[in-house]
Amino acid sequence: MSAVKLLLVCRHAPYGNSLARSTLDTALAAGAFDMAPTLLFMAEGVLQLLPEQDPTDVGTRNHRKVLDSLPLYDIDQLYVDGAALAEYGLTDMPLPEGAVVVDGDGMRKLLQAADHLLGF
Amino acid sequence: MILHTLNAAPEQGVFQQCLGQLGTTDALLLMGNGVYAALDGSPAATRLLATGATLYVLQDDARAAGVLPRLCPGVKAVDYATFVELTEQFPRQLAWY
Amino acid sequence: MKYALLVLAPPGSASYSALHFARAALERGHSIERVFFLDDGVNNGLDTTVPPQGERDIPALWGAFARETGVELVLCVSSAVRRGLLDATEAQRHEKPGPTVTEGFTIGGLGLLLEASVASDRVLTFGGQA
Repeated sequence: MSAVKLLLVCRHAPYGNSLARSTLDTALAAGAFDMAPTLLFMAEGVLQLLPEQDPTDVGTRNHRKVLDSLPLYDIDQLYVDGAALAEYGLTDMPLPEGAVVVDGDGMRKLLQAADHLLGF
Repeated sequence: MILHTLNAAPEQGVFQQCLGQLGTTDALLLMGNGVYAALDGSPAATRLLATGATLYVLQDDARAAGVLPRLCPGVKAVDYATFVELTEQFPRQLAWY
Repeated sequence: MKYALLVLAPPGSASYSALHFARAALERGHSIERVFFLDDGVNNGLDTTVPPQGERDIPALWGAFARETGVELVLCVSSAVRRGLLDATEAQRHEKPGPTVTEGFTIGGLGLLLEASVASDRVLTFGGQA
């Protein structure tokens, strides 16, 4: 496994533009590269985690389903912005397995601990 | 020790998100529409100064926007060579946009 | 130091900054492993762009940069083809009239971004609206 610690900062909602999708594509590619990237869902990015997504009628793939497949690629370090969850009334929402809720300080620590940050 | 780059006007939600992550050991480079946060006397500039982060604005973008003559005294205008120098000093960059 | 650049922004202020940054980094004696264009960033390599007279032609400027410096410019294949950015191979594969990618860019997979990130001391992201 690569020793380089890569943190992907996911700040966009899943369907308004394609950035969230590009983030997951990058995460999957990093997984295939044996990099075990860490993902931080912050601000609007927490909306990527809504469990009841059904984009059938808008003609795109289900973002949450892709997210749920990340552990298959050994991508299991997921962190979620707790304040953003509260902002959207989603504190009770079921999170992907192993996801850890963090506060502002927790997010700062994650940012400082990475070698490289990719800001999506 | 993070170099934050902000490319969005102060009214965008991302301004607040970036603000929340700025620490005293960090630097912030304002670029694109982000340069408007460097307007002297604006609440945005006051809030940025209060974070204790070192503040920079990309000179070319600030000049294009007409912000350069109205620059808040706590914000330093820099060229691209200095931008590169900042990335030498700061091991990580986080882009806000 | 070695740098990898990720450009997510379409042609405009942010991608223009990325280009200036890349030139300045080389001038300061650094090397650039690769510039990787992802998401809307791939439009920086669209050859059929026609800028208004007197305005910057961003794909042409990137192309010239690649020619002068030899720095590798890679467009993410999945972002590219869905936006109509095709090299000769992709154009043929998808039975489209012809290539639309500016000379100096190549099309490749996301692995190239990660490979460059691992090999670099610094990774910079440039995002934003047009």
